[in-house]
Amino acid sequence: MGTVHARSLDPLPMRGPELGVHTDEVDLVEVEPETKQEILENKDVVVQHVHVDGLGRTKQDFLTHEIADVFTAKNLIDVMKKSHDARQKLLHLGIFREVEVIIDTSQGDDALPNGLDVTFEVTELRRMTGSYNTMVGNNEGSMVLGIKLPNLLGRAEKLTFQFSYGTKETSYGLSFFKPQPGNFDRNFSVNLYKVTGQFPWSSLRETDRGVSTDFNFPIWRTNHTLKWEGVWRELGCLARTASFAVREESGHSLKSSLSHTMVIDTRNSAIIPRKGALLKINQELAGYTGGDASFLKEDFELQLNKRLFWDSVLSASLWGGVLLPIGDKPTCIADRFYLGGPTSVRGFSMYSIGPQSEGDYLGGEAFWAGGVHLYTPLPFRPGRGGFGDLFRTHFFLNAGNLCNLNYGEGPRAHLERLAECIRWSYGAGIVLRLGNIARLELNYCIPMGVQSGDRICDGIQFGAGIRFL
Amino acid sequence: MSLAAEMFVSQIAAAEPWPENATLYQPLKDDQILLSDCASSLAVQAYLRMCNLPINVSYRANAEYMSPSGKVPFIHVGNQVVSELGPIVQFTKAKGHSLSDGLDDVQRAEMKAYMELVNNMLLTAELYIQWCDENTVAEITRLRYSSPYSWPLNHILAFQKQWEVRRKMNAIGWAGKSLAQVYEDVSQCCQALSQRLGTQPYFFNKQPTELDALVFGHLFTILTTQLTSNELSEKIKNYGNLLSFCRRVEQNFFEERDGDSTASSSSRFSKGPSLI
Repeated sequence: MGTVHARSLDPLPMRGPELGVHTDEVDLVEVEPETKQEILENKDVVVQHVHVDGLGRTKQDFLTHEIADVFTAKNLIDVMKKSHDARQKLLHLGIFREVEVIIDTSQGDDALPNGLDVTFEVTELRRMTGSYNTMVGNNEGSMVLGIKLPNLLGRAEKLTFQFSYGTKETSYGLSFFKPQPGNFDRNFSVNLYKVTGQFPWSSLRETDRGVSTDFNFPIWRTNHTLKWEGVWRELGCLARTASFAVREESGHSLKSSLSHTMVIDTRNSAIIPRKGALLKINQELAGYTGGDASFLKEDFELQLNKRLFWDSVLSASLWGGVLLPIGDKPTCIADRFYLGGPTSVRGFSMYSIGPQSEGDYLGGEAFWAGGVHLYTPLPFRPGRGGFGDLFRTHFFLNAGNLCNLNYGEGPRAHLERLAECIRWSYGAGIVLRLGNIARLELNYCIPMGVQSGDRICDGIQFGAGIRFL
Repeated sequence: MSLAAEMFVSQIAAAEPWPENATLYQPLKDDQILLSDCASSLAVQAYLRMCNLPINVSYRANAEYMSPSGKVPFIHVGNQVVSELGPIVQFTKAKGHSLSDGLDDVQRAEMKAYMELVNNMLLTAELYIQWCDENTVAEITRLRYSSPYSWPLNHILAFQKQWEVRRKMNAIGWAGKSLAQVYEDVSQCCQALSQRLGTQPYFFNKQPTELDALVFGHLFTILTTQLTSNELSEKIKNYGNLLSFCRRVEQNFFEERDGDSTASSSSRFSKGPSLI
């Protein structure tokens, strides 16, 4: 037997276990041939030692919280269950490639007759990993090169650098992530980034360089994010022919904003959910902490899914938002809401609803959009149980409106303005799920309630994206 | 947009008459505009007044970024946006307004040469003093240039601009020059202009041309702008005929229209030297 530096639980039962494992010195606890057999299933057992084998740069104290529960197990079934949970938790940290659990009877001088030792054999991730992948965002594809340094300081910190070269934008980002020991979902991250985006519907080019800090924490069944963001935004015209309204918005501005997001997500999948609901409420206050932009922005997203007969799913979504400028400065084109396109109100061109100038869409200060979908499996269900399950047919009805608010009018007038001239559309199409992050849609759309200035897409419309109405 | 398409649009634009709501955009007059931008803007205004084309002046903190060429001033006429004096002269010519039609080819070549001289000497000297003379940069340029922006963007943008101008100075070989050498260049340029002007009312006798507008824009702005030292304006004051030329243009094209509501800037010129 090698030296096992695991401390026993017994002397300090109330203060929680401590671990002292030196990887190199630990040998596997081998199963010794037992002559008599015992049935342990209903017998009380005591977990005397928990070892973590294979640790390199990971700090032991960080893992204590993840495996502490194993000590509380009182019988063998419990030990197995809690060890399994602990294994899941360890994998969730994103610092191990593999985790294996070995449960054995205790060995050594202080071994109790009903004592058990639990050993987690872990394989750490490499110090640095590189990745290369392609991404599909909202109607845009890009190639992403990434470098990741997982478990940088031994407590699941992560440093990520990403460089993305896209069809429309080139950007990079550096991010540092640190979870709270013992509560991985409570974490904070600091990001540095530069993002360049081209928005042809507005003839606008935007370059953002920014710093942001977010804190994520769960409360009951909700996830909260508190974020501060400081962005230097540079706006410019995409072409000489850009409308003067867009030209007037050109130049530099600094936005410093505090925002809070609350998410409740009980859906079984983010892309084509069968059941569950999503509620996301986001609020952003800019200008309070400095910068040129001052506004209060509120928006929400609600989605309900209900499973019906024959594997079909009825899904209803509602989005809404309002942007209130603070002070006498009007809102910036980069902060306003946009609506329309294959990912929101189908049958209209991308972000081509609402206020516009010479064909450039300027966005609005208030919007709402709603959709009802009926998802069904493909007719005659080809490829059932395999490839065919990635596809769905859907019938949809979308509606929405986007407008600017005149703040003298009062909330009633605002509601009236949002209720008049509603754009809506209906149609049917095929949805393809791409992994669990994106989906493609091919729809036949019939737009209705078209207002002058809106750009429509009557007939076949193709869409790709990660967020759908 | 392709060149051909751009040509086509400008030809269509040429057919339209000069609209009443034509607007010239420049940086904020009191807190932001710098010597060189102010001079260029005044030159364009003088040119349009010489052509008798009405223009409204609009002051925008982001004028530089609104401009299609990144340089101020620019004019917005109908749905056309044109920046800087040269293209604006071409643009008005397409609309049938020109000051240099009466010149023969030799005179036109001479006019262009003198305009190049002003741009290469006076404009570059203004940029040099603004962005390369440490005193001026610290006391005037940085504060004014960054005035519309909040911290830390004000420092970033001023630094970015300074770096850009210095790189340009390097490229044209001005980086090694001392302030005294720059003043000497300005003096020589003024001497050349003074000799060309002689006793004529304008550079090509009775009729003002775009050269007159350009020279007026620069000289008048230098004369009326308070810098860290008045050495630059002293160089011009050595040439009496240039001073009276400035006075003449001001009287004929700015003061006589004081009644016009369009010329919000004209009141400034009657006040004499002012802090711009």
